[in-house]
Order: sequence, then C-alpha cells, then structure tokens
Amino acid sequence: MTDVASRLAARRGAIVRNQAFWGVIAIVLLLAVNVVADPGYLSIGYNSGHLSGNLIDILRASAPILMIAVGMCLVVATGGIDLSVGSIMVVAGAVSMELLSGMDGTTGDAALTLAIALGIATVLGAVNGVLVSVVGLQPFISTLVMMLAGRGIAKVITGGQNTTADNDSFAWLANGYVLGVPVVFLLAIVIVVLVALLVRRSALGLMLEAIGMDSRASRLAGVKRRSLQLTVYSVSGLLAGIAGVFATASVMTVDVSRTGYQLELDAILAVVIGGTSLAGGKFSIGGAVIGGLLIATLDKTVVFLGVPAAATPAFKAIVIVVLCLLQSERVRSLFRHRRALRAQSQKEAVAA
Amino acid sequence: MRSIPRVARAFAVAGALTLALAACGGGDDDTSTSGGDELVTVGFVAVGPEGGWRQANEANVQDTFTEEAGFELKYAPATNLDQRSQIDAFTSFVDEGVDVILLSATEGAGWEDSLRRAQEAEIPVILVDRGIEPDDTSLYVTRIAPDNYEVSTAVAEWAVSEFPDGGNYFVLEGPAGVSVVNERNRGWDDAVASVPGLVKVGAQTANWSTEEAKSVFETVLKSNNNDIQLVFAQNDEMGLGAAIAVEEAGLTPGVDVKIATIDGTKPALEALAEGRLSFVAEYNPLFGETLLEVVEQVLNGEEVEPYIVVPSETFDSPEAATAALPSRKY
Repeated sequence: MTDVASRLAARRGAIVRNQAFWGVIAIVLLLAVNVVADPGYLSIGYNSGHLSGNLIDILRASAPILMIAVGMCLVVATGGIDLSVGSIMVVAGAVSMELLSGMDGTTGDAALTLAIALGIATVLGAVNGVLVSVVGLQPFISTLVMMLAGRGIAKVITGGQNTTADNDSFAWLANGYVLGVPVVFLLAIVIVVLVALLVRRSALGLMLEAIGMDSRASRLAGVKRRSLQLTVYSVSGLLAGIAGVFATASVMTVDVSRTGYQLELDAILAVVIGGTSLAGGKFSIGGAVIGGLLIATLDKTVVFLGVPAAATPAFKAIVIVVLCLLQSERVRSLFRHRRALRAQSQKEAVAA
Repeated sequence: MRSIPRVARAFAVAGALTLALAACGGGDDDTSTSGGDELVTVGFVAVGPEGGWRQANEANVQDTFTEEAGFELKYAPATNLDQRSQIDAFTSFVDEGVDVILLSATEGAGWEDSLRRAQEAEIPVILVDRGIEPDDTSLYVTRIAPDNYEVSTAVAEWAVSEFPDGGNYFVLEGPAGVSVVNERNRGWDDAVASVPGLVKVGAQTANWSTEEAKSVFETVLKSNNNDIQLVFAQNDEMGLGAAIAVEEAGLTPGVDVKIATIDGTKPALEALAEGRLSFVAEYNPLFGETLLEVVEQVLNGEEVEPYIVVPSETFDSPEAATAALPSRKY
C-alpha cells in the first residue's frame, strides 16, 4: 500500500519537478482563457489552399523565437550566454533586404541572398565564439559588444533606413504553405529536430554540458573546449540569422530599430522556462521549444483578448512571474519545509 | 579625453582671432563681424532610425543647418528609441554650452529636469515634432510640428464621410505614452464620435512596426471573425503591415477592409496608388526652413509663438497618390 502510494508520489514529483511541464500547463491555460473568450478559438479552417486559424498563427509567430531559443539553449549549456541574437537577426534581415532590393526577384536571387545573409550571421556568431573561446572574454561582455555593434552594422548596411524589397520566393519562406502547413514552422521544426538529434544522439550534448559544469575538468577529460565553444556561438549566430530572415521575409521590410529588438530576452526566457539552468551544465531543447511556443502563445493571447496596450507588459510579466514561482523548487519546498519544521518542533516539545 | 579637443578648439579660436586682428591692422576697418564668422552650434537631440518619416525629417534638418548656412549641427540620435540616451545627449549639449538645442523626444514625460538645466544655462530649446508632457510652455521656447490633432481629425473626417452608416474599426497605435499617440487618438476620437454607428472594436500598439502590425492585425481579424471595415493606423508602416494581414486572411484591402494611415511616405503613397491603402494623411516632415527661421529669430532675441503649425496635405484616392508620387521626397 504505502509502497504504491510512495511510488505514485515519486512519479508525480518527477513530473512536477520537470520545469517544461509547467510551461505546457501555462500554454494550455492561456489557450483555455482564449477559448472562454471565444469558443471558436481553437478551430482550424481551410481556405484557399492552406490551413488557417489562431493555432496556425501561433505556430508561425513562434518560428523565429524557436530558432534563437535553440541557439541560446546550446550556448547556455556551456555556461555562456548570447545577448547578440536580436542584433544578428536585424543584420541578417538588413543584408537580405538590401541585396534583394537591388535584384530582379528570381528564385536564384533569393537563394543567393539567403546564403549571404546566413553566412554573415554565422561569421558574427563566430566572432562571439572567438572572443569567448580564444580571447577568453566573459560571454556576457563579448556578446553584449556584438549586440550593440550588430544594430549599428545593420544601420550602416541600410543607411539608417527601413529597407523594403520584393521577392516572392523569399517571402514564401515566411508566408508560404506546404500541404497547408506554414513553411516557416516546418522549417523551424526540421531545424530544431536536426539540432536535437545532433547533440543528443552523439556525445556532443554531453561535451557541451561538461564544459558548462567545469570547463577545466572537461579539458582534462579530453573535451576540446575552444572548438566546441566556437562552434556553439557560430551555430547560435546562424540560427539567429535564420530567425532574422523569417522575421523580415514575413513583411519584406527590415526595420533597423525594431526587427529582433530585445528578442534575446525572449530567447533567454524560453530557455529558462524550458528548464535549462543559466548556470550551465544541463540543457533541454524540448524545453526551449515549449518555452518558445509559450512566448508566442502569450503574445497572441494579449492581442486576442484585447488587453489594453498600456497594460500588455504588466500582463505578460504576471504570467511569467507566476510560472517561474510554480517552477521554483524552493517555493514548492518552502511549504514542505514549513510542514517539516512544524513536525520537528512538535517532536522536540514532546521530548522535552 | 574631452578636454583635449576643447583645448584644441580654444587654440583654434585664438588663432582665428589673431588672424582677424591681423586683417584689421592690414587695411579696411569694416570687419566688425567677428561674431558673424563663427558658426552657431546647434545640438539636435534626435530620435534616430524609426521609419521613413523620421528619416526624411532628420535628413531635412541636417541639410538645412549646414556650415554654409552658418551652423554647426551636432546630431545625436537616440540609441534604439531609448529616452535615457536622449537625456544623456541633452545634458552633454548643455554642459558643452551649445547655442541652441533642438529636441525630438522619444517619450513625452520626464523632461522637466533636463529642460530646467538648459534654462539655467540660458540655452533656448526648440521642440521639433514631438511635444513634452505635461506641456509646460515655460520650459521651452517653441514647438514646431505639423498638428497631430488636425491630421488625425482629417483622417477621422474622411472615415465619417466614407462610413456614414457606421462600421467596425480598429486602431493600430504607436507605443503607449508617446505624445504623438495621445494626440492622434484625441483627434480621431473627437471627430469619430459624431457617427455613433462607427464602433471601436479595439486598439493595440504595434510599436510603429510593419512586422508587429501584421502579427497583431491577423489575430485581431480572427478574434472579430473578419468583421472589421476600417483600420486607423497611426503611421504608414503599421498600415502596410495591416494590409498584408488583410491579404493573407483572404480579404481585399481597400474593398473589405479600408486602411487609413498617417505620414505620407513614398511606400504608403505607392500602396494608395495600388488601392491597398484607402487614405493617407500627410504629416509633413520637411519643415527645416521654418525651423531655421525660428532659430534665427530666437537667437536674435525675438519673441516667437509657443506652437508653430506646419501645414500638411491629405490623399484620398489612387489618382491623388499617383499625382503626388513623382515629386515625393521621402
């Protein structure tokens, strides 16, 4: 009897302790709130050759966040942080729009532009990587420098303007559909799955975690810290570049002061909600995906419910704070602890 | 660090004076213009990259206050629309002792202390476009701007004539708390109130951005089952984002949903010519000349009006837009 009960309790404990679980709960709750506001919220329609509905919109909106969240997740695993993802997004966007605005709008142009934009994003990520791994600067400082420099670079590229371009193939990346499903979400999921397989089906993930736990010990154990850190920051840059392409292609405009602005915070939030510790040493890509979906759901919910513009940040903050409190082991154990304390003091009273 | 250029400048001034004196000694005695040769330093606390309108406005100011015109313009754009960086720039202009400060505030509130410091240093401050809140006219010399209230009233009057039987409308606003947003809202609300059938289904901020406006408006269309006939976008970029959202929802902008915007940038007029937007009210950014006159008046100690309105046009048809496009500067 007690055995079964304790095993059940243990399993429940394991689920409750898994932080991503609370992320899922939060998404479900937000969707439920929307359904209460409009019973037809979850319905998915089919019009003019593609699926449409609020859920589809959430998936589309989540694609850029998923990209930067996954990159951030890997960087955080090594005990670092990448504050430059938002700025790398705007650089990738600025490069794409600036190139496309001078081209004819063919698919070849789009492919070339994509390659150049992602290449530049990867190089910027690699610069972070070199600063961190070879020069040995603090990740916070190196990527902060890139965060400030990146937006500056974007402004130089477009001459300080918001550049607009026309290219149907490029726009298709963000707005198109394959088998009725948004291309942008399919691409995001394929990339996430590839990254997840790469790090979890090989020893790569463990090595990243080893660096995050104790970089000297990992080196003694034969982990190539430098090259791995360089790779991780480059990958984060590349993923941020993809996110930037997604964000700008959806409206075919780059807004140098707004595209990707403060999205590094969303990425960090997604990673943390997913149960990855900012101290490094462990990570969960699945958790980061849930975190990214939660942020997209939250953004869309605010608009759907018509929360007044002025109250939007407060609304978001409350949702996040409540979520983090629920996730916190300490807050949960506080209750347990108080119970235990009371029991102990009773025992002492009896003994005396 | 900063003291070195100052020393250098002192030397330069001293050198120039010596030359001027030498010239005096040389011959003709009409050089009483030692003040006239010196450039007037103008500190421009600007907004920086924000959109096509701002780009045109700040470029126009920069092109007006040139060295040929006798000015040295110090352009200080905000870092990512951050008010903190503007206050820092403002303070350093005061410390430097420029002759006049032009201010386009990213946010209306919180300028009292900075403006008082400028007043103590006897540096006149002219507000360019953006006002401050609360609007204490004793803190600055004058504000030069197109009238947001009038411009958005013009949009609202068009909406009233276009929808005499009423309809549902949505407002895409700029960031909450900016004076432009408050003024554009007031102008619109006051004029639209005359048609009770026009129902406001909501308002959201899209931070002046096309991308955000598209994302916001696609959700708004869904939450209202596409039952929205009119969008009032407080700038061109957001209106264009709304147009994309309308197209993606399978509707036709200009037919199912009419979109009215403020600013009158080139991309918006092109969209109006194609029928994707239905009404564009210009918010004239090219008032560098007026600004120049006012600055000169102020420096000569003349009185100026506390609020100088720059006239603006409206475009209500594809034809009007096509006619205006070739001469469009921004």
